[in-house]
Amino acid sequence: MSPKSATIYKGKTGQWAFVLHRITGFLVFMFILLHVVDISTINSPHVYDAIHRLYGNVFLRLFEVGLLFGLTYHALNGLRVIMIDFFPGAIKNEKQLFYFMFSLSLLLTVIGGVIILRPFFTGSTH
Amino acid sequence: MAIRSLAQKTGDSRTSTRKPRQNFETWSWYFMRISGLVLFFLALFHFFIMHILNDVTATNVTFVATRWKNPIWRLLDWLLLALGLLHGSNGLRFIMDDYIRKPAKRVVVKSVVYGIAIIMFIYGTLTIVTFKG
Repeated sequence: MSPKSATIYKGKTGQWAFVLHRITGFLVFMFILLHVVDISTINSPHVYDAIHRLYGNVFLRLFEVGLLFGLTYHALNGLRVIMIDFFPGAIKNEKQLFYFMFSLSLLLTVIGGVIILRPFFTGSTH
Repeated sequence: MAIRSLAQKTGDSRTSTRKPRQNFETWSWYFMRISGLVLFFLALFHFFIMHILNDVTATNVTFVATRWKNPIWRLLDWLLLALGLLHGSNGLRFIMDDYIRKPAKRVVVKSVVYGIAIIMFIYGTLTIVTFKG
């Protein structure tokens, strides 16, 4: 076995929590940049309204659901990080905490996703 | 933090006698937790109102004009902008420190990222402040 393959860190839940936290944080930040630009068109009402009609497109609605997952996961896992930092007892349950926060963010994404995507299927949107 | 307070409780002399230095990274660490907690409520509340209670196509100019008649909403939206960009660019700082190894490249990328964040902060602030409705 080469030294390189011998030292590969396979990671456990904590590492996956960290990786997902980093990716979702990065993506939410990228969304903020886009969001600042789309809101800045508010002084040209027809442009602003056209952009928000475009956001009603099913692909951009899926993007919206993705944002919901990124946001809820990052927020809930951030709470987990704070709990581990400030309450020594939390580290003993960090694995269960991760499963709980991850499941909760998935659940909220599914519930929110149904609400976000529904207008597309019922045809009550532009 | 957890290790330090644990050491204080158990009276571990190796760690408890050494006072932690209050350097930039300490403040950055506190800032991420405090801003994170504030953003937890601000961002989720914002998403709930703008994407769940109201459909994205309903949040048009009329919607924003009504909302921004109340200065509290402008203030909350501005707080979300400021804290989101600060929390986000500090997070990006960790990412850049981790993955960009060459000092010269790191300086260039950091300058670009911080520059974009500052421009976006000014641009967003102007949008919130100058909107007449």
